[in-house]
Amino acid sequence: MAMKKIRTCIALAMLGSVGVPALSQTTPATPPPAATPAAPPAATAAAGAASSPADEPGWAKGRPKSDAAMKMAPVPAFPIPTAPDKLPTARFKLPPGFKAETFAAGILDARELRQGDKGNIFVSSLFVANKVYAVPEKGGPDRKAKVVIDNMPMATGIAFHKGSLYVGTNTKLLRYDNIEDNLDKPGEPKVLTDKWPGGTDHSWKYFRIKDEKLYYNIGAPCNICDPGEYAKIYRMNLDGSNVETVAAGVRNTVGFDFDPKTGNLWFTDNGRDWFSEELPNDELNVVTKPGQHFGYPFCHQGNIPDPEFGWGKSCNDYAKPAALLGPHAGSLGLTFYQGKMFPAKYQGAMFIARHGPWNRTTKYADILVARPDGKGGAKIETFMTGFVENNNYLGRPVDFLVMKDGSLLISDDHAGAIYRITYSGNK
Amino acid sequence: MRVRRWAAGVAACVSVLAVAALPPPAGAQDKPRPKSASPAGGASAAKAPQAVDYAQRFASQCAACHGANGRSDMAGTPVLAGQPSLYAITQLFLFREGRRSNQPMTAVAKTLSDDDMRGFADYIGTLPPVPAPAPRAPDDAARMAKGKSLSEQHKCVFCHGANLDGGQQVPRIAGQKEDYLQESLRGFKSGNRPGYTQAMTAAVSQVSVEDLDTLAYYAARFAGK
Repeated sequence: MAMKKIRTCIALAMLGSVGVPALSQTTPATPPPAATPAAPPAATAAAGAASSPADEPGWAKGRPKSDAAMKMAPVPAFPIPTAPDKLPTARFKLPPGFKAETFAAGILDARELRQGDKGNIFVSSLFVANKVYAVPEKGGPDRKAKVVIDNMPMATGIAFHKGSLYVGTNTKLLRYDNIEDNLDKPGEPKVLTDKWPGGTDHSWKYFRIKDEKLYYNIGAPCNICDPGEYAKIYRMNLDGSNVETVAAGVRNTVGFDFDPKTGNLWFTDNGRDWFSEELPNDELNVVTKPGQHFGYPFCHQGNIPDPEFGWGKSCNDYAKPAALLGPHAGSLGLTFYQGKMFPAKYQGAMFIARHGPWNRTTKYADILVARPDGKGGAKIETFMTGFVENNNYLGRPVDFLVMKDGSLLISDDHAGAIYRITYSGNK
Repeated sequence: MRVRRWAAGVAACVSVLAVAALPPPAGAQDKPRPKSASPAGGASAAKAPQAVDYAQRFASQCAACHGANGRSDMAGTPVLAGQPSLYAITQLFLFREGRRSNQPMTAVAKTLSDDDMRGFADYIGTLPPVPAPAPRAPDDAARMAKGKSLSEQHKCVFCHGANLDGGQQVPRIAGQKEDYLQESLRGFKSGNRPGYTQAMTAAVSQVSVEDLDTLAYYAARFAGK
């Protein structure tokens, strides 16, 4: 990571740009381009795509031939968790009254966080660890993660519901019943589907369960391409039946949650790469009705037609983002805060993790707070910084979990750690 | 098989070195997972990483096979000179996890603490590239041309760079030993050689073994554009 010195002015400018007023969504989106009820992409589609040897890797589609660009590529999580005494915990900057502590360390490739009814905190992984862990709720910062599932590549999507742990890889959805009583031997899972298309581009999962439906994503199989039935958020019954499209034109969402006030689904979407260092922004979007299309691959950040796929299309034909989240930000986990510990102004606000760019010379990573403005937009402010030093990542935040006491857990797949944020100031 | 034979020989030499040179408290490290999390562990003897000189440990533990400057003439042993630190640590990780299998390297990696892995990888990252020794026979120009065209057709340069010198998690393959490259490429294709990501498995899945061998021939002799 031979990177130049961070330039504070640029970092500041960037934070400023993130706070750009939400694009208004006052005009209801025009007739949504057909959200076809066709079957979601299945394994065969991916096999077909992989059969052409001359294809460049999906992430490299659209890359210019300049030397600087040719040296950029996605960077997987670091293989060694940061030692507890070297974690950036003490460097984090938070609003007054908030405090960060190390909740657990030594959790290689810690990605998504979900909690069981009996207190176990499940932690998934992506490319490196091939594991799902359980971390006990009680204990001190030396609490140990137990490996519950091992040797399962891309065991990334997790959800807990009625005693069962749902685990989604890029190809299949599994259910481990009564998991919290069987952490040492979870047994054979029930396979709910094994027909997801797989692949490595944006194929990992993020889950939410609401009203007995599992919401999940199938990301675009490339940086920029015609995604067919990819690039959508879907939902299904918990037995794997009745797959429905929730939102289309979603390049790669790695975080979504339901607004406790309205029930609307809000999601982060990672913008395309190789357009430029500063554009397009990642999007924060909200689904307000069935059949919405959020633009990919035709329109980015609500107002930039794609130089290749945007011809003959108008950005006005697609649902506009509620807010912009920064260029190449790697906007991942999104969680509405409903705990009791934080001040009232955080009630019903979203926490958003910006994992930080690979496709940009100057790095940044932080935690944002987004507040719905009641008009389809959202106001953004920075909540937590300190993940980057000298343009190198010390940590990269991924996902959140609000504990019963209202404290907030944040996972970090670069440092292999979980942090806990508490508030002890005046309310 | 030829490879087996050298592997066994190397195993013998490395395990002797490893036993001799390793710090005693290797007990806690057979699994890389949460064990290192313990703050108490921070106080163990494996701590005090500043005191460990990885140049010296490289000389005693790695150089016998890989060469003091990161290039040896031992068949099948990869050139470490010029490899990025991140690539080095991903491979040490794969050996320690038991995913990438190579008896001598697994034996060494199993004994390494997290700090050791960082120390060795950082040191390897400082080794400047060492060009291949002058070939005994002139390069087969037709085969080189074929290799060049295959490297473009199969997009090798997309990750390894126009100079095939790698970067971050991507290894330098220019000037790497041909036998090692050949073994690696065939391994990615057959599934015997797991990578840190799926990139190589995907990249070579549709390439014939004959073409992979040509790519190995080409990259080993490639001296820059």
